[in-house]
Amino acid sequence: MKQSFYLAIKYLQFHRIRTLVLVASIGLILYLPNGLQRLISESEIQMMARADATPLIVGAKGNSTDLVINTLYFEQQEIEPVSLKTVDLLNQTGFGYSIPILSAFKAREYPIVGTNLDYFDFRNLNIEEGRTLRYVGECVIGSRVARRLNLKPGDSLISSPENFFDLAGVYPLRMEVVGILRTSNTPDDLAVFTDLKTNWVIMGLGHGHDDLQKVYDPTLVLKRDSSNVTASAKLYIYNEISGKYLGSFHFHGNIEDYPITSVLFIPDDKKSATILRGRFESGAMEDQIVVPGLVVENLLQSIFRIKQIFNTVFILVGVATLLILGLIVILTLRLRKEELYTMFTIGSSRYKITEIIGFELIITLVLSLVVATILYGITGYFVEDFIRQFII
Amino acid sequence: MKNILLILGVMFLFSCGDQEAPKEKIGQSKLLVTSVNYPLHYFAEQIGGDLIRIEYPIPADVDPAYWVPDENALEVYQSADIILANGADYTKWMNNVSLPSSRIVNTSKEFKKSYIELKDVATHSHGPEGKHEHAGYAFTTWLDFELAAGQALTIKEILIDKLPDNKTLIEANYKLLKKDIEALHESMIRVGKEFDGLNILGSHPVYQYLAAAYGLKIYSVHFEPGEMPSGDQWKEYDHLIDHYPSSIMLWEGEPLPEVSETLKEKGIQVVVFNPCGNQPESGDFISTMKTNILNLSGRVQ
Repeated sequence: MKQSFYLAIKYLQFHRIRTLVLVASIGLILYLPNGLQRLISESEIQMMARADATPLIVGAKGNSTDLVINTLYFEQQEIEPVSLKTVDLLNQTGFGYSIPILSAFKAREYPIVGTNLDYFDFRNLNIEEGRTLRYVGECVIGSRVARRLNLKPGDSLISSPENFFDLAGVYPLRMEVVGILRTSNTPDDLAVFTDLKTNWVIMGLGHGHDDLQKVYDPTLVLKRDSSNVTASAKLYIYNEISGKYLGSFHFHGNIEDYPITSVLFIPDDKKSATILRGRFESGAMEDQIVVPGLVVENLLQSIFRIKQIFNTVFILVGVATLLILGLIVILTLRLRKEELYTMFTIGSSRYKITEIIGFELIITLVLSLVVATILYGITGYFVEDFIRQFII
Repeated sequence: MKNILLILGVMFLFSCGDQEAPKEKIGQSKLLVTSVNYPLHYFAEQIGGDLIRIEYPIPADVDPAYWVPDENALEVYQSADIILANGADYTKWMNNVSLPSSRIVNTSKEFKKSYIELKDVATHSHGPEGKHEHAGYAFTTWLDFELAAGQALTIKEILIDKLPDNKTLIEANYKLLKKDIEALHESMIRVGKEFDGLNILGSHPVYQYLAAAYGLKIYSVHFEPGEMPSGDQWKEYDHLIDHYPSSIMLWEGEPLPEVSETLKEKGIQVVVFNPCGNQPESGDFISTMKTNILNLSGRVQ
């Protein structure tokens, strides 16, 4: 048997290119369904963890998946906004408390998330460097944003003009980076957090400029009467909110009507959550309320369906590979006809020849398994980063 | 023997340390309450008593309505468990800072319909189609003592919500405060009747709720207690007195002697009615209001 094994090894070593191709292809076929399974399972765990940690989301009626994706993972899907009044209405129910979210803008490709300090408490986000938000115009950035953009407290970050609320774009705002969040391995690492009011300033609903009661340049004023001054477009609007200009920042219209993209609602208990959901379902409250866990579960079921298609493909490819493997063995035997005849004539039994070929196949399969295991291990090592980078 | 004494000494020191630690912990775990003005601070202090830790980060020499907190003061607000806000557009600085909304309690939310809208306020808009800046509301809500009692009630409710085990004590404290506020209300009703529709001048537009609650006709200029009014301000005064003849002018604090003298020459009595937005130099909210009412009563000739 040892001799058979030795001869099999020698044969494979001699035909190393063919052996390598066989090992790689069988290894990949073994790895792919398992690697994909691992990727999907990890995605599910991570996505569900974020969703399960968020009790309820309220937003405008429409696509609930977009609402959840926007609120949990800050993928800025085009969703209808609701007004800040929704936050008050939810708080007035007495069933818990609300955290407003406005995720519609970006700063150098990273989502700007307008919220309030309750969000950081709710998600257990701590400051690693610098301090938390204090004044309008400041931002706190996720650890990966800081790393990739090489930002530190004291630097500034400018908002991008494009957003789905206003196709014409908005004036960019220079925000001061005041803090960097500790890594949480969640989408919060890839976000730029500001106060909700800072987002409204980006939208142009609030701004700072010279006091119009004290402006005497006639080109800056279109109309002046006893109760109101109408400014012309020439009036300079500050593009950053610093200590000097902070006092001049103000909002036009009624703040209660200002837009937010969604509301995180944290109920006091399960009963409060059920009653609140009932109110939305009965139509007593407008908008829609969703349980993020259920929405993400539905989303994952779609992914599972894709996984089943992949599995079927892999089985077919596997069968094809096995057939090719069989073909290779048959062709090899035909090519090795003379070699096998020589072995037979010098006294090797039929059994011995079968044993040698059997060892060749076993060694090839074992090597393929090793390749598949190594690939699986590598997947396990990088899967979390991969998911955060490309899936969540 | 020496060693035994040393060991006993060390054990004593450690045992002292152990006794101190829990005390400190209890102090730190008390509910931290802060407020945006003095009346709310006073109400919380009276209702919460020793059950709460109360911080008042507003400096003595500022008007809390127009003050903007510095970083240290803001840190106090951000770390508080309850931030008592006045509502009615008081403290516009809250629009320019980041606070945990779930911890802000608008003490006037139950009577939003009673807010008095400001009419003579200059606003601005941008372009012919632009939205107007919000003109705002009068904010010294607590000068209507019924509304003040309403604000105290909101404070009581939030404290009971946070400290349900101490409900009885909180209720008892609130009852005492309410009694004091009701006494002020009764006294002020009597003073309102004394005036019976007579005009009163106000040195500053802060008496809207006082006027509305007690039937007073108060017309205000924009004089500051520590400043001599300018020529334009005196013109504004003359214009007002022509339309609304009066012999009494309410001041937030004692005016400059030369201003008092000028007003005396014009036949105007100066009456100090301190709105008490910030902590008074002496006394408290109730005693200051009692003095205010005393200053105002018996003035009608």
